Amino acid sequence: MTNTSATTYNFKVVLLGEGCVGKTSLLLRYIEDKFNDKHLTTLQATFLNKKLNINGKRINLSIWDTAGQEKFHALGPIYYRNSNGAILVYDITDEDSFGKVKNWVKELKKMLGSEIVLVIAGNKIDLEHERTVPLEEAESYAKMVGARHFYTSAKMNQGVEDLFLELTREMTEKLEQNAQNEVTRTSRVLVVDDEAPVQSSCCAGSKSN
Amino acid sequence: MISFILEMEGAYDEIISENPFFVELKNEYANLFQHCIAQSWIICVPRIGSLSTRVFTVEDFCAHILVPSDELPESHYSTLTEKQVTVANKVITLEVTKSLPLQSHILFEETFYTEDFIKYKVWCIEYPLEPTTNTGTHLITKEYLTSINDCIDLLWTQAAGRQVLDQIEQSVQLFLKNQPSLPIAIGPLRDSISELYTQCLQYALQNRRLREKSKVCKTVLENIKMAVECYMQQLLFESIFKPICTSCAYEDSHLNKKIRNMCDIQLKDLDIKKELFHAVPKAKQILSKIDTYSTVLEKVLCLKQALNTINKTDSSNNVVLLTADDLLPVFVFLVIKSGLPNWYSQLTYMKEFRFSGVGKGDADESAFLITTLEAVIEHIQSGALSGPPDPESYYYESDLTEDNLNERQRKNSFTESISTSDTNTRDETLEYIFELIKANHTEQVQAILLRNKRHLETIKEHESEILKVSLDKKYQFHNEDYDDNSDSDSDIYEKLCHPLCNCKKCCSKIFKNLLKTSPTVTSRDSHGLTPLHVACIHGKAAIVELLIEMEADIDATDLNECSPMHYAASRGHQNALLLLLHSGANINKTNVDKNTPLHLCVNNGHMNCVKALIYFSEHSRKKLMINATNENGNTPLHLASKWGYEGIARLLIENGAEPSIQNHNNKSSFDFAHNLKILQVLKSVTPNLYEYIHITSSDVTVLNSKPEKLFNTKFQKLKFKENNASKTVKNLKTIERIFKAISYGDVKLACFYMNIDYTNYKNNNSNTTLCHPLCACRSCKKNNESQTDFDVNFPDSNGFTALHYAAKYGLDELCNILILNNANVNCQNKRGQTPLHLAALNNKTVVIEILTNNGANINTIDLSGNTPLHNASEMGNIGASKVLLNKNPDITMLNGSEKSALSIAKEKVHLTIIDLIEKYANKS
Repeated sequence: MTNTSATTYNFKVVLLGEGCVGKTSLLLRYIEDKFNDKHLTTLQATFLNKKLNINGKRINLSIWDTAGQEKFHALGPIYYRNSNGAILVYDITDEDSFGKVKNWVKELKKMLGSEIVLVIAGNKIDLEHERTVPLEEAESYAKMVGARHFYTSAKMNQGVEDLFLELTREMTEKLEQNAQNEVTRTSRVLVVDDEAPVQSSCCAGSKSN
Repeated sequence: MISFILEMEGAYDEIISENPFFVELKNEYANLFQHCIAQSWIICVPRIGSLSTRVFTVEDFCAHILVPSDELPESHYSTLTEKQVTVANKVITLEVTKSLPLQSHILFEETFYTEDFIKYKVWCIEYPLEPTTNTGTHLITKEYLTSINDCIDLLWTQAAGRQVLDQIEQSVQLFLKNQPSLPIAIGPLRDSISELYTQCLQYALQNRRLREKSKVCKTVLENIKMAVECYMQQLLFESIFKPICTSCAYEDSHLNKKIRNMCDIQLKDLDIKKELFHAVPKAKQILSKIDTYSTVLEKVLCLKQALNTINKTDSSNNVVLLTADDLLPVFVFLVIKSGLPNWYSQLTYMKEFRFSGVGKGDADESAFLITTLEAVIEHIQSGALSGPPDPESYYYESDLTEDNLNERQRKNSFTESISTSDTNTRDETLEYIFELIKANHTEQVQAILLRNKRHLETIKEHESEILKVSLDKKYQFHNEDYDDNSDSDSDIYEKLCHPLCNCKKCCSKIFKNLLKTSPTVTSRDSHGLTPLHVACIHGKAAIVELLIEMEADIDATDLNECSPMHYAASRGHQNALLLLLHSGANINKTNVDKNTPLHLCVNNGHMNCVKALIYFSEHSRKKLMINATNENGNTPLHLASKWGYEGIARLLIENGAEPSIQNHNNKSSFDFAHNLKILQVLKSVTPNLYEYIHITSSDVTVLNSKPEKLFNTKFQKLKFKENNASKTVKNLKTIERIFKAISYGDVKLACFYMNIDYTNYKNNNSNTTLCHPLCACRSCKKNNESQTDFDVNFPDSNGFTALHYAAKYGLDELCNILILNNANVNCQNKRGQTPLHLAALNNKTVVIEILTNNGANINTIDLSGNTPLHNASEMGNIGASKVLLNKNPDITMLNGSEKSALSIAKEKVHLTIIDLIEKYANKS
């Protein structure tokens, strides 16, 4: 029953960023297409699932929101280990939050190397007139660290879907690239067995034989 | 019609692009399909197996295509067959003209993107949206497993019989039989269990029904895997959880110490949203049951339920969205308050023994919940919490919160300047003194308290005179009465218009002075805390010393009847504690919960304070009640055992703590021990343990109900032998040490304590001056006899002599030495046991040989009428039985329950012993 069209990719995506930059709003906008709404169908916005089917490839996104408080920063590694992608959110009206993003990027690169797909999101572009993080700086930084940069507004529903779609596309690409380098992939997986379970979870049906 | 409620996100899954309904729509009705996509209409696909027919008409498809309404595009739709549909809470409701509305759950939503990135949505639904359709063959009765019963149910019904369950049970039993001692290290344990799981899963899938069903739908396979895992875990739990706890003992005890020390934490300390407060008690209740579940599935669900309780609604029924920012603090609070002693073990179990979810990596909700728990534990363990959130706020009114802490700290550094410039307003309040204490400003505290004290004294001195002022305004002040030292007070009088003035202005000045409520060493705040309490809470030894010097009440109690020592002990401030002890504070003082300071420092894992209390009591002859029970009947050892403090437990036991004392729930310290390490400590170091375990239950209750009696008898003895008191006290102390040395097997040390020259015997033995190493003939005895001022037959409060102990621990060498020193081989302890009994109980064959050779009565009976042979046969000690039977015992003797040694052996099915005794009987 394992054929290529039916392969399901399970991706784990973490949302990182300082408190109040709108991580949760971004997530809710994407999953529920709502902003500050009382009629949400989910009661929690800490872990959400999204099923996608891009061009015949089934993708299951598990999106983990993280606490933005500084005191929980040290718990980052527990959350982002085994992640396929990370969305680093900052508030374009808050320079500190962009600094935080830089810290996160540094940390992620150090801990996970290039295994993880990074996307940087400058949120709250509906407050363009209050912008303090220069457009060029953010974009050139993203380019430097090899991350895609998006401008989003959870409130106005701008750029949110593009952000997730692009992230998903890149994660799929990375995974397929890795799958092609079959030899290196398996050896790597064998070495770091504890840390990173086999990333492509092919249909588990193969176990039934 | 809703048969179940999805509690877990994404629990159901199937591959839509393989669903026949969807496939046919896409291939056979391409035009309709393309139109749907272009219009962004929603396509509903009944889950696989819910449609009985495989032939679909165009109407079937049209009934499953939803067109959003213009007004309410999110909740109101119409199908292409012109039916009205509403959607709320993931349930589709279809209005049907004739009968009840038809409802169907949305199992999941899948967002499709075409090659040119045109988006459309597909909803996988539970039942078809057609009233006529007779619901198809149900492949799966329940898609979502919530308990072990569901799992058993699934394996039973889906396989149509018990055989799969039986096979799993058999292989688990075989596994346990083949591995009598499971590996302690998590890695190997996990691997071996994992292997067993694969094996069980193979058995399950060998079943034809299960195999066929699992091929149809992925979810079925997932469920079978889950069910097999759960059933296996259920069977294994008892055997594998103890090893897990043991390997996590270190982490658990450290975590417990951290948690115990912040158990006073309040919700507000963690910056938790007020809207979430009301649900916390319920959530706590749910979460604290996590240790009653034996499967990972149920444990994870317990986490999930606890969180669900929080995020449902607030007190006024508004939906509160639980965000990641709230989740962690709430969870931290719940874990701290849950009172479970083994969170780390629980986490390890969930993390490492979840096999069915492994393929998915970290991409499901269970993984998220487990990770969250891990993060919470990490956070508590990191100590990030114990700092800023102010646990003291619980004890005395302080507006100190995390937010203004920094600000305060800055202020504190300025207090010096403040206090000099602004004294009159600020130093009037007790709170200010408390803050100074906290900031360790010894001199200022001293200055203020001294001044206030003097102020009070002057008021007292002149009380009568001042009262006169109020009565008779013509009172005349004698300014020279006040010496220059009483600065603040004399200042006031100097400020009067005239020393003899009694105008209104001056009078009010005098009265203001009288009304001044300056804090002193005896002042208390609303919780009844004195400055000494606060100094102890913060462990400011210098201030404690100062306050004691200023004659603060050393045993003052607050509203919880806690003395300063309670606080010093519970916070682990050894210096403050020792200062209090040396100043004569009551070492056994109990608070409202009947906790002694020892209870508190044990509970919070403060080894240094436990040591301080024990060593102080040792040196000062103040008896520390080491087995004191609190309101729940727990001794300090109970607490040490519960929270896994190995070092403290050992210390307590070495100093006479009794592990078999039962609390009000009839639980002893043994019952509280949740890992083998603690159990070992409880068992190994306890000298009297053996007796306590094997005496009858009535004896236990007598002993346990009056643990203090032991001490009483000791004291009574002391009083009784008043004339010989000093020697008796010395002997009692030595005998304890001797017993300890014997229990360690340290013959040399025991001899040293008894003033017996060990080397003398040693050399003699090696020089073989004795006829035989075990010889005890008169000539040899005389050769070796040496005088010791210690009476080797001196018993402890339970009547045990050194020889009893030596026999019990099988120290043959020491037995010889003792016998040579005139030890009585037939002396009985309080329960009538001779050393021979103990040797028989403990299967010490050499000792039995020695004792019987030295005149021990082979047929001696203890209070329950047991001879040594009875004991040996009851314990199944083959060696001991053999040796005893060689000494011609009377095997016809019956014990208190009218049983012979043979019948006891038969009762216990000790075959070899039955054989031995019968042979002996035949011989004689």
